Amino acid sequence: MKKYFGLTSVAALFVLAACGGDNADGNNGGNDDGNANNSNAEAANNEGEEAANNNSGASEDQIELNFWLFGATGYPDLAEQYMEENPDIYINFQEIDMEDHHNNLFTALSAGSGAPDMAAVEVAEIERYRGAEDRFYNLNELGAEEMEDQYLDWVWEIGQDPESDYLFGLPTDIGPTVMFYQANIFEEAGLDSDPESVEEMLTDWDEYEEAAAQIYDATGLPMVDSPETIFNALRDQSEQLYFNEEGDFILPENEDLREAYDFTTEMIEAGYVGGYEMWTPEWGSGMSDGSYATLPAPAWMQGVIKDNAPDHEDWRIASLPEGAGNWGGSWITIPEQSEHPEEAYAFLNWLLSPEQQLEAFENMGLFPSAPEVYEMEEFQNYTDDYFGGQETASIFANAAEEVEHTYTGPNYTAANDEMIDALFNVFDGADPDQEWDDMIQRIEQRIDR
Amino acid sequence: MSSDTTAAEEVKLNKRKKGMSQRVKNMISGYLFISPFYLLFIVFGLFPILFSFYLAFFQWDGLGDMTFVAFNNFSIIFNDPLFWKSIYNTIIIGLMGTAPQLVFGLLLAYALNSALLRFTNIFRVAIFLPYVTSIVAVAIVFSVIFSNQEGGLVNSFLGLFGVEPITWSRSEWGTKVAIATMIFWRWVGYNTIIYLAGMQAIPNDLYEAAKMDGATVGQQIRHITIPMLKPFIFFTVFTSTIGALQVFAEPQIFQGRGGRPEGISIVLYLYREAFVSNYFGTASAVALVLFFIIIILAVANLLIANRIGQSPRRGL
Repeated sequence: MKKYFGLTSVAALFVLAACGGDNADGNNGGNDDGNANNSNAEAANNEGEEAANNNSGASEDQIELNFWLFGATGYPDLAEQYMEENPDIYINFQEIDMEDHHNNLFTALSAGSGAPDMAAVEVAEIERYRGAEDRFYNLNELGAEEMEDQYLDWVWEIGQDPESDYLFGLPTDIGPTVMFYQANIFEEAGLDSDPESVEEMLTDWDEYEEAAAQIYDATGLPMVDSPETIFNALRDQSEQLYFNEEGDFILPENEDLREAYDFTTEMIEAGYVGGYEMWTPEWGSGMSDGSYATLPAPAWMQGVIKDNAPDHEDWRIASLPEGAGNWGGSWITIPEQSEHPEEAYAFLNWLLSPEQQLEAFENMGLFPSAPEVYEMEEFQNYTDDYFGGQETASIFANAAEEVEHTYTGPNYTAANDEMIDALFNVFDGADPDQEWDDMIQRIEQRIDR
Repeated sequence: MSSDTTAAEEVKLNKRKKGMSQRVKNMISGYLFISPFYLLFIVFGLFPILFSFYLAFFQWDGLGDMTFVAFNNFSIIFNDPLFWKSIYNTIIIGLMGTAPQLVFGLLLAYALNSALLRFTNIFRVAIFLPYVTSIVAVAIVFSVIFSNQEGGLVNSFLGLFGVEPITWSRSEWGTKVAIATMIFWRWVGYNTIIYLAGMQAIPNDLYEAAKMDGATVGQQIRHITIPMLKPFIFFTVFTSTIGALQVFAEPQIFQGRGGRPEGISIVLYLYREAFVSNYFGTASAVALVLFFIIIILAVANLLIANRIGQSPRRGL
């Protein structure tokens, strides 16, 4: 009975929400909200989005595995190889838009039927499933423990239940953060502009602020595109975020985040922060017409930059002051409804191994979560002419190794949304201290359910 | 069973069939013909709606167990200032977006109906076109027009008159003006076409008689067109009210997934509860409250409409 409850109630909300007609798929045409989206946006600049809907081509003696994916991963091509080597397996892909993908998966899991054998879950979405371990296979029971050493520690921890020996998913790609910057703006302000010198010049946030002042005085341009990206960079360097592992709301006492907030608002009030909301057209065109000097962002932002500013010659990449964070990436889960968990696991074991990750990186630019790849020659020698011939892969790899896992919690997105709203309110002229208190109140109201 | 009995039964059955009147047969086939819609409606419409009423009394994150919490979901949302703000926003945006629409629609329809205008069909199609445009596309284009930056279309136009750039997506009134404009633009054509249909049903003799008596255009509109259009006006007020209460895609796309206090509407609040925060219980409670608000307004509309309809003719 519970099965039906689940299915219909989710459908019910959709129906009610869509009652006026025409709104049914109003979920985000283009105005993405920061965290969750575009984790695979890097792939946007890669061509060849082959629709891989080989509708059930499995013959009778084959085991058919359904795999739900979003973004352009190139996995269907890799799977061809696997199917050749394992003729008894047939893998059926369903690749759709990220938000629809997660809504479908949530509905299928909630309903208790219709879920695939394998499904990708984006990092921000994992939190929705923390309390629903019974809906997935514990991958450790399928033997995933042996794979642990292949991956970066912090990546592995995200897919895990810290309390128990439970593993939700195996990591695919990740989004280590770096600082993209426009070298010509640095030069205009009389600053050194080659990546080594910039990294030397901007080792901590105070130096970043000094450079911001110099750029602002010389060119009138903001140092960073929006309050959101600068705050994200600072936030990811904190030891704790909005909630602790007991689920308590700790933002009011969290000194690190308060400092990050104060630094951001100080920068805002000095005029060093632009008001370009992420994913708006002006934000995108700012990449080509030089509206801001730096963009703290993850590896997959390369694709977004190249798309928005194809002829720009002055984008460069440097490490962020004081350490990197992670933004995006996915984990592959095996829903409990699957009838072939062993076969699915065997395929994932192959697909997410370092060798295949290198191929996914070469094909579609998915940034590997297995550090072994970082040592491979093909990877290290990877240079990018767009970024002035920089060895971009190794810069991201360094960032990836610096990341430390911080606990986010189920209400993370709600709290972070309110934080970003607060920063924009300060940008619009609100008093930072007053706004901090208001934000705390808004978050408490929102999570007190 | 012997074959005899079955044969006997068959005969009986045939007899009964013959006994069935044509009326009953028509009735049965009629119900069969309309049943696909009702079956689908029960599965995908009615049952989910009833279930969400049920869900309004439970706490549920979509995956875990449901806990019965009686009226707690309602007390939670009634104590949330943002919920009241969302109702306020919905009403204000509704008034700003729909009231001018009805007046404008009437004038446009009058113009389209006039014999002086040439190429009327082209104008009729053009004015209806916004209605069939994808709402998401509309919202995206409008968020470019109402850009916060100084170089945005509306801001640079206002700049010509020395007005400071407005942060459309984050200021109390800027947001409402922008969203109301979107709604206005999209729906004005729909209402115009309805009025136009109504106007074409008004016999021309009335106008001719009025002209003979020396009535001006203004007098004609006031004393002939509007009274004759009464049922059409009620209809558009009715649908506009319900439509305005369900505003969702415009604020959602204009302000981002979870919305902001300046522009959040009731349905966007509901969506945020359910699909951003995973609180399906409170979301269902909001749905239930919205359901009653719509019923109350619909009944009020109906009463007012009847009252006006029954009153002895004034004017004329």
